[in-house]
Amino acid sequence: MPPSTGPGASGGSSYAHRLVRPEALTGYFLISPAVFLMTVLLAYPFVLAVWISLTNRVLGEPGRFVGLENFLKLLQDPLFRQTVWNSFVYTISTVFLKMLLGIILALLLNQEMPCRNLVRGALLLPWIVPTSLSVLTWLWMFDSLFSVVNYLLLGVGIISRKIPWLGDPFWAMVSVVIVNTWRGLPFFAISFLAGLMTIPKELYEAAETDGARGMRQFWSITLPLLQPVIAVVVLFSTIWTFADFQIVYILTHGGPINATQIFATMAYDVALVAGRIGEGSAISLFLFPALLVVIVLMLRYLRRE
Amino acid sequence: MRHPKQPSAVPAMGRTLSRRSFLGVTASATAALSFGTFIRSGLGAAKVNVLTWSNTLNAMDDVLREQAAQYSKEKGVEVSFEFINQTDLPTKTAAAVESGAGPDIITLWSDGPHLHDKALVDVGDVAEPLGRELKGWTNIAKDIAVVGKTWKGVPWGIIPIAITYRSDWCKEVGYSKFPDTYDEMLVLSKKLNDKGHPVGFALGRAIGDGNQSHYPMLWAFGGAECTKDGKKVAINSPGTAKAVDYRRELHKVGESDDVFSWDDSSNNRAFLAEAISVTGNAASIYWAEKKNAPQLREVTDHALWPKGPAGRFGYSTAMSLGVFKFSKVQKESKAFIRWLMEPKQYSAWIGRGEGQIAGLLNYYEDDPVWKTDPKLEIIREIPKYVRMPGYPGPPTRHAAEAMVKYVIVNMFARGCKGTSTPETIKAAEGELQEIYSKA
Repeated sequence: MPPSTGPGASGGSSYAHRLVRPEALTGYFLISPAVFLMTVLLAYPFVLAVWISLTNRVLGEPGRFVGLENFLKLLQDPLFRQTVWNSFVYTISTVFLKMLLGIILALLLNQEMPCRNLVRGALLLPWIVPTSLSVLTWLWMFDSLFSVVNYLLLGVGIISRKIPWLGDPFWAMVSVVIVNTWRGLPFFAISFLAGLMTIPKELYEAAETDGARGMRQFWSITLPLLQPVIAVVVLFSTIWTFADFQIVYILTHGGPINATQIFATMAYDVALVAGRIGEGSAISLFLFPALLVVIVLMLRYLRRE
Repeated sequence: MRHPKQPSAVPAMGRTLSRRSFLGVTASATAALSFGTFIRSGLGAAKVNVLTWSNTLNAMDDVLREQAAQYSKEKGVEVSFEFINQTDLPTKTAAAVESGAGPDIITLWSDGPHLHDKALVDVGDVAEPLGRELKGWTNIAKDIAVVGKTWKGVPWGIIPIAITYRSDWCKEVGYSKFPDTYDEMLVLSKKLNDKGHPVGFALGRAIGDGNQSHYPMLWAFGGAECTKDGKKVAINSPGTAKAVDYRRELHKVGESDDVFSWDDSSNNRAFLAEAISVTGNAASIYWAEKKNAPQLREVTDHALWPKGPAGRFGYSTAMSLGVFKFSKVQKESKAFIRWLMEPKQYSAWIGRGEGQIAGLLNYYEDDPVWKTDPKLEIIREIPKYVRMPGYPGPPTRHAAEAMVKYVIVNMFARGCKGTSTPETIKAAEGELQEIYSKA
């Protein structure tokens, strides 16, 4: 179809024209199933959750609009304040550990070794195995009576009395951090490995020629070039960890004495067990504004890079 | 450029079905099937779906399946049971209430009728005749199922939580019977622990065992979470302080730290592994021993919860059967519940449970199941002492929320972990005030 050049033709009109060209219409048609699914499965539940968080709705009753009352009340709730603290401790420590261990593992896997591909594949197992199954196994491993971890540690003499993995507030947090790190490490390692493999070997050769080795190469070449990958992976992991549910729910259910209660487990108890879905939605969405800002800043940084 | 039509690879005689014919046949088959379903539903073949928990005693679920099949055959109404994990019931119930779709009959735990009363129909026309015919309902039955003045559930049964103890170990330290008071239990616990047989009452996230062990202790020492009208928080009292001090002492002299990590199955496993001597549990430990450890069954016995200065109390999980308002077969659902509660069916069900479930109609206090084993007789007394969270106030949504948030259990747990009595009570008070301030 020739561009419109006759009287009355304008930039806006040609834009509208572009929108309704057969190719454009075909494009809309092809993406419409995806848009429909995203609207129904993502956008609608999200908007509904935001609306419910602004009401005093309980199960079976429509509730009424209360504005930000749920959020303000949460700030006065000592249990919620502890939940916020727990969530930050849990997220920051697991993401940090995954990042650190992920880089180390990626550097190791980038070396030549026998059965390298097999090792790389096996590394993915914690990530692939359904979370609830693997966490149930950890539950048994940390059991107060039958813990195989305590059995081994006692046997080799590393500890003289058994560790209350799930019964002490400190050790319970350590336990959930260990399990989350174990589960998420493959994602970090494989992502960093992929990043490492894109770094040109010539850079290392040139550095070697100039006398830079080992740690100098790591700080000056590897880490800077890996930064975009690190940024993306850390961003995703932070969001996923703040929203984590299965690991804490199965291992400790937020206990003992709320020591591992995080947003998702508290929202579950409040909304689905106690029936206060307005408040439960507010708990789930509490961090959304902050996370949105983090995402925007991170994406700007990545665009710049 | 259009290509000439390629000759078909399939000979004309081999092509048995054209596109048009295929569409015609499929459409006709679909219409026929739909018509059949329509006719069938039009003929009144009602279907009642029941959602309930998957009992650890599978034999009881088998009885329900058999009874459903029998009812379907006799009455021409198809009844089907769906059994799910106990911990999934609240979520499934919430989903059904919010979506307005799901089972016709739902099993409601404890104060479920209060939490979901707006979504449930009035079943007084089932509950009241049953009460009249079968010697009346117990007080706890009305507490859980009557909201305002309306029956929102038909009390189905209660899982009595008793003191389960090793009689041989108690005899070794000079106790032929389990003590009747908390003070005496403290003395016994120390003696047992000194012999390497600690007691164990869950202080972790055990929604059943944790709450069911500690609410009675709170009440027995005169403590309470709220006032009689259920409106004001009253946890900060001398009675509560005595209860916390007692629990701390019990933990110090008689228990291991394992209890802080326990869920609802942990004390069962600990008892069967002979790691503990005394715990609070349903008859499920005794039942499991029959299959897995018959030698332990000889030396396991049951007792009432001890008395404290303010009396003897218990807290056990009671179940009701509710009918959802969205159900299209409400009349048939009520009729089935009524049938299920009649002596022939009900007795067969609790009989298979061997003491795990007790009836909430006074008629079933003399059920033959309590005569099958002398060690089960004491369990039938327990419902008399049972109160609901919120006692002495009514079982409200606030009391239910406090229970699922483990406010009372955590209060005792903090005390046992070293927090001072005033501090741990103050923390609990703060949590309760936040809950009770809501509408």
